[in-house]
Amino acid sequence: RSRSKSKRISGFDMAPPASALLSGAAAVTGQIPGATPAL
Amino acid sequence: CSRLHTKPSISPTLLLSNMYQRPDMITPGVDAQGQPIDPRTIQSHFEEFYEDLFEELTKYGDIESLNVCDNLADHMVGNVYVQFREEEHAANALRNLTGRFYAGRPIIVDFSPVTDFREATCR
Repeated sequence: RSRSKSKRISGFDMAPPASALLSGAAAVTGQIPGATPAL
Repeated sequence: CSRLHTKPSISPTLLLSNMYQRPDMITPGVDAQGQPIDPRTIQSHFEEFYEDLFEELTKYGDIESLNVCDNLADHMVGNVYVQFREEEHAANALRNLTGRFYAGRPIIVDFSPVTDFREATCR
């Protein structure tokens, strides 16, 4: 049923979470932190 | 390429630097928690990104082409190139996108010299 919603929320104007720097917010947002993997 | 490419002061093409972050960008096929990702998940993730992007950009003018790099080289991973029909449309989009966020990350937008994507390799 949830798939029948007319439109997902766009990622535009999705500000970074305030807690992003304090905790591992990656799991919440599904986003990977910008750190470059060690070579 | 590590050359410093010049940025034109006006161009119909915009570059959105490193905007698309594929879910398995650290290790192909595996997410940040080390769990395998279904290729269909990656595909729909990408399609949703593309759709968001298209809907936003089309507000600012007619889009000639919209390219998302799936290149894992650091300097261009997830770069998005959007070519508008008119330079003014690109300038309008640049003004409107500068300083905004996409999915929690700042949008880095500049004019790009690329106008022909088949010829868009560094020489």
